[in-house]
Amino acid sequence: MAVGTLPRPDLVDTRRATGAREGSRAWRKLVRNPSALAGTLILLVVIGAAVAAPHVAPHDPARQSLVRRFTPPVWEKGGNPAYPLGTDQVGRDILSRLIHGARISLAVGVAAVVVSLLVGVSLGLLSGFVGGRIDTVIMTVVDVTLSFPGLLLALAFVAALGPSVLTIILVLGLTGWERYARVVRAEVLALREKDFVEAARAMGIGTPRILCRHLLPNTFSSIIVLSTLQVAQAILQESALSFLGVGSGSAYPTWGQMTALGRDFVTVAWWLPTFPGLAILLTVLSINLVGDRLRDALDPRAT
Amino acid sequence: MVMTRRLVYVVTLVAALGLAVFPVHAQTKDTLTVSLTSHAPTMDPHMHFERVGILVNINMFDSLLHKNPKLEYEPSLALSWKPISDTVWEFKLRRNVKFHNGDPLTAEDVKYSFDRVIDPAKKSPQYGNVRAIKEVKIVAPDTVHLVTDKPFPLLLERLVFFPIVPKKHIEKVGDQAFGTTAPVGTGPWKFVEWKRDQYIKLEAFDGHWRGKAPFKTLVFRAIPEVATEVAELKTGGVDIVRNVSADIVPELKNHPQTYISSVPILRVHYVMLDMRYPPFDKKAARQAANYAIDKQAIIQKLMGGFGSQVATVVQPLAFGYDAEVTPYPYDPKKAKELLAQAGYPNGVDVTLHSSFVAFRPVFEAVAQMLTEVGIRATPKMWDPGPAWNKFLQGEGKATHGMYGSWGNYSVFDADAVLHPLYHPEPGGWIGKWYARVEGLDKLIDEGRSTVDQAKRKRTYSQIQRMIKEEVPSIYLWTQYDMLGISKKVVYQARGDEWLWLFDAKPKN
Amino acid sequence: MTALLIRRLVRVVVVCVGVSLVTFLILQVSGDPVSLIMPEAPEADRAVLRKALGLDQPLAVQFVRFVASSVRGDFGQSFFHREPAAKLVLERMPTTLTLTLLAMVLATAVALPVGIVSAVRRNSALDHVATVTVFLGQSMPAFLTGIMLILLFGVYWRVLPVSGWATWTSAVLPTITLGTFSAPLLLRIVRSSMLEVINLDYVRTARAKGVTEWLVICRHALRNAALPLVTVAGLQFGLLLGGAVITESVFAVPGVGRLIVGAIRQLDFPVVQAGVFMLAMIVVAVNFAVDLLYIFLNPQIRLR
Repeated sequence: MAVGTLPRPDLVDTRRATGAREGSRAWRKLVRNPSALAGTLILLVVIGAAVAAPHVAPHDPARQSLVRRFTPPVWEKGGNPAYPLGTDQVGRDILSRLIHGARISLAVGVAAVVVSLLVGVSLGLLSGFVGGRIDTVIMTVVDVTLSFPGLLLALAFVAALGPSVLTIILVLGLTGWERYARVVRAEVLALREKDFVEAARAMGIGTPRILCRHLLPNTFSSIIVLSTLQVAQAILQESALSFLGVGSGSAYPTWGQMTALGRDFVTVAWWLPTFPGLAILLTVLSINLVGDRLRDALDPRAT
Repeated sequence: MVMTRRLVYVVTLVAALGLAVFPVHAQTKDTLTVSLTSHAPTMDPHMHFERVGILVNINMFDSLLHKNPKLEYEPSLALSWKPISDTVWEFKLRRNVKFHNGDPLTAEDVKYSFDRVIDPAKKSPQYGNVRAIKEVKIVAPDTVHLVTDKPFPLLLERLVFFPIVPKKHIEKVGDQAFGTTAPVGTGPWKFVEWKRDQYIKLEAFDGHWRGKAPFKTLVFRAIPEVATEVAELKTGGVDIVRNVSADIVPELKNHPQTYISSVPILRVHYVMLDMRYPPFDKKAARQAANYAIDKQAIIQKLMGGFGSQVATVVQPLAFGYDAEVTPYPYDPKKAKELLAQAGYPNGVDVTLHSSFVAFRPVFEAVAQMLTEVGIRATPKMWDPGPAWNKFLQGEGKATHGMYGSWGNYSVFDADAVLHPLYHPEPGGWIGKWYARVEGLDKLIDEGRSTVDQAKRKRTYSQIQRMIKEEVPSIYLWTQYDMLGISKKVVYQARGDEWLWLFDAKPKN
Repeated sequence: MTALLIRRLVRVVVVCVGVSLVTFLILQVSGDPVSLIMPEAPEADRAVLRKALGLDQPLAVQFVRFVASSVRGDFGQSFFHREPAAKLVLERMPTTLTLTLLAMVLATAVALPVGIVSAVRRNSALDHVATVTVFLGQSMPAFLTGIMLILLFGVYWRVLPVSGWATWTSAVLPTITLGTFSAPLLLRIVRSSMLEVINLDYVRTARAKGVTEWLVICRHALRNAALPLVTVAGLQFGLLLGGAVITESVFAVPGVGRLIVGAIRQLDFPVVQAGVFMLAMIVVAVNFAVDLLYIFLNPQIRLR
C-alpha cells in the first residue's frame, strides 16, 4: 500500500485507549483548518437541503410549464425572481430540482457506500483473520475487480439489468467494495498477532466475537475516512453512468443526471448543466477536503 | 536543476510521442466534412441497416432508381422501367457506366447484387426489405426482369436504396475486404480511407456518369457527442451536422458561420398503447388519451414549430394518406369525461416507456399532459441498448404504453408504417404485443397484396378511419429534419433524410 | 524469490480468467445479441444465426471454448463488424494507451511541484490554494470538464482542435481532462512522503551547510516519494484506463473505451470480451511490473 494514505495500524492499540482524547483533538484540528471548515459548512448545507427538501424547495420539482421553458437565472436578462436559477427544457424550476437532487444524489451515494462497506468490511475481516485459502480466494476476487476497467463493469451491469435506482445503487456498491476489503484486511493482519487478541483467544472467546468486538473497532477510523471519500466517488460515478446513458430513468433526477442530460443545451441554456455540475463540484470537493484533513487529523504522525 | 531537467525531459518525450503517433493532418478548401454519430460496422451496403451507413453508401454506390429533391423517381442505373405483369417488372439499364475500378456495369452485376441479399445464407440484414423478390432474370445485356412472388407495391420504393455492387471485384477480394478496405461502386465519390471511429474519406470519381462531383474530397467524421459536433460546426471542423435539436436551432441560425436547413420528413411520433391490459383495453380511455395532448403547444414550444400534427400514423408525405381523416383536437374536458366513461372517474396510474432519448422533454411533457386529465403517467426513459431490447421483445406485462417514432426507412408508402406498427406478423415486432384492432390485419394485408394504386388508396383510407376510431395509439405529429450547415456550403435538406451530397455546392 | 514470482504469475493468470468469466456471465445475462442483429427476422432464421455463432451451446461449453481460443489470440468474429474482435481492439489500443500514459505524466508533473510546495509550506495560504485547485479537477464530472474545455479552448479562444485525433494538439484537451483525475491522489502521496522526511536531521544539516534548500528537499523528498508513487502507478493506470471511456466519447477519440461501450450496447460479445480481457491484461501486467519494481527497490520485502 502506498505510504501516507492510512493511519498507522501499529499505533491503533494505544489509540483505542485514548480514543476520546484523540477524537476531540482530531475535531479541533479539523475545525482550525480553513478549507476543511469551509468544506464542513458546505456539507452541512447540502445535508440540510437533502433532509428538508420538500419544505425548502420553492416549487414542485416536477411541475412543467412549456411557457416558462429556458428561463435564465434571475440576474440575467429575461430572468424571473420566482425562478432564481432559471428553468429547464420543460419549464421546471432548477433550484427546486437542485434541492431535491441533493436528497437523491446523497441517498444514492450513501446507499452505494453502505453496500460497499457491508460487503467489503465483512470480506476484509474474514480474509485478514482467517487467512489461508479464504484469504487467497477473496484477494483474487479483489484483484479481478480492480483489474476490470472501472466504469465498464458498471456499464455492463446496468446495460444488462435495465435502468432503476436500485440497480444503480447495487452496481456502484459492487464496484467499490474492494477498497474496504483491502484496508480492513491490512489492519486485521497487523493486529491479529497482538497480545490482546491472543488473550481473547486464550479466554475462549469465539472468532466472530473477536472480529466484531476487538478487531473491528480498530478499523473504524480508516473506514470512516474511506467512506467519506467513497461517497464522493459514488456521486461522480453515478454522473458518469448518466452521461453514458444508463441513468436510472426516473422522474426525480440526481445531480449527475441533471448535468448529463443538460449537457446538450450548454450553449443555449448554460445554467442547465452548470448548476448541478457546480453542486457536484462543491459537494465532492468538500467531501474530499474534509476527508483529507480527517485522515491527517487521525494520523498522529502528521503533527 | 532537477525540476527543470525533468520538465524538459517530459516535454521532449511528449513531443516525440506526439510526432510519432499523430500524422499531421491538413485541411483543404475543396473538402466537405459531415458529422455522423458513428460509422456503420461495414461499408458493404447490403450487410448493415444503419442510417449512418446508408448516408455514406448513397454517395459511393448507385441504385436502379433515384429520387430528386422533390422526391420524384428519377432514372439512375435504370434508364426506364415498366411492369410486365402483376409480378414482373422490366428494367432497362444505363450504358457506359463504370465502377470506380474501371470495370463496366453489366446486367450480371445487377443480378449479383440482388442474389446476395435474397440468399438467406448470406445473412444480409436487409433480407426482409426485398424478401418479396423471388428472382432476377437477365433477358438482354441491358435488360433485367425482377420477379416477385406476390404483387409487391413497394418495389420501386425499395429500389431507391438498393445499391448495385460489382460482381467480379467482390468475387476477387471477398465480402470481408469489400466492406472494409476495398468498397467499389459507381457513385460520385470513391473510397480512399477508413480510420475506424475517426473518419471515412472519399474522393471524387472522375468517371462518374452524372459528371464531376462538386467537392474533391468528402469526409464523414464519427463524433458521438452533440455538444462536440456543434462546436466543430461553429469552428469549421465540420460542414454539416444532422438532427439538430429545435433548441439549438436559434443559436445556429444566429451564428455568423452557420445556418439551418429544415424540411418535413416521414418520421412520425406516436405513443403505442397496450391494448391487452387495463386501462387501455377500453376504447374510451384510449380516446381520452388522444384528447389530452395539446399537440400544437408541444410543436410550437418544444419543437420550435418544426412539426405538423397528424391524424394517424400515416404521414402526409406517404402514399395512401387520406387528408379527410382529421386529427383529435386538444380537449382536456372531453378527455376527463371519456376517462370517467371508461370507468376511471378518479383517474388511473400508468407507466409509459421510451428509448427516444433525443425527445426526452417531449416525452415528459406528454406524460404531464396525460396526468393533468387523470391518466397519471410516469415517464420511464431507457437507454436504447440490450436492456431496452429485452424489455421491448418480452411479454411486457401491462406495459401501458411506449413513446416512439417511425421513419419508414424513407419509404413513402402507408404500408411501410402500418405493417411494422400494427401487424402481428414477425415483420411487425412492435405491433405484435400492443395492438389488437379487429379486422386491421386483414386490411393491411389487402393493401400490400395488389399493385392497383387506386384500390390501395381506398384500402388505406378505410384503415385510417378505422385506426382513428379505435385509437391503438396516441397520434402526435410528424417532425422536421434539421441540418446545421456551414455558410461555406450550400445544401438543402431532403424529405427522405438523405444526404445526397452531389447536390451540395461550395459557396464562393 | 522465485517462489514469489511464480505465485505472482499464477495470480496474473487467475485474474485474467476471472475477468473473462465475469464478463462472460454479465453478457449472458444481458440478453440475446441475435435479436439485435436481425430484429425483424422470424425465429427460424434467428435460430440459424444463433447456431452459426455457437450461442446455442450450454454456457460452460461456450466459456471453455472462449478461453481456449483466446489463449491463441482468437477472440472470435465481431457480430457487427464482421472482422476479428481482436483486430478491432488492437487497432485502437495504442490510442487509449497513449492517452492514459500522457494523462499519468501530466498528473505526475502537476502533483510533484504542488505536493512539494504544499508540504514545505504546510498550512500556508499557498498550500490551501494549491490543494483546492488540484482537487477541483477531480471534483467535477469528467464529461462536464471536457465540454467546458472544448467551449473555452476550442470555440471561444480557437487555440486547440475541438475533437478528433488528427494532430498532436488534439491530445491536449483530452489529456488535461483525464489527467486532472489522478492528480489529487498523487498529490497526497507526494505531500505525505515529503512530510516524512522534511524534519530529518540530514535535511537540517544540509540547510545549515547552506546548500540551496530546495535542491536538498527535492532530491531527498523525491527519493522517498518514488516508491509509493510507483506502487500507486499500477492502480492509477487501471483507473485511468477505465475512465478514458468518457474522455474518448466527448472528444471523439478513436480508443478502446468507446469501442467497448458501443459493443456493450449492441451485445457484441466477442468485442466486449476481447476488449475487457485485453485491458485487464494490460492492467495486470502493469501491476505485475510495478510489483517487480517494488520488490527490486525495496530489499525488505524480498526476505519475506
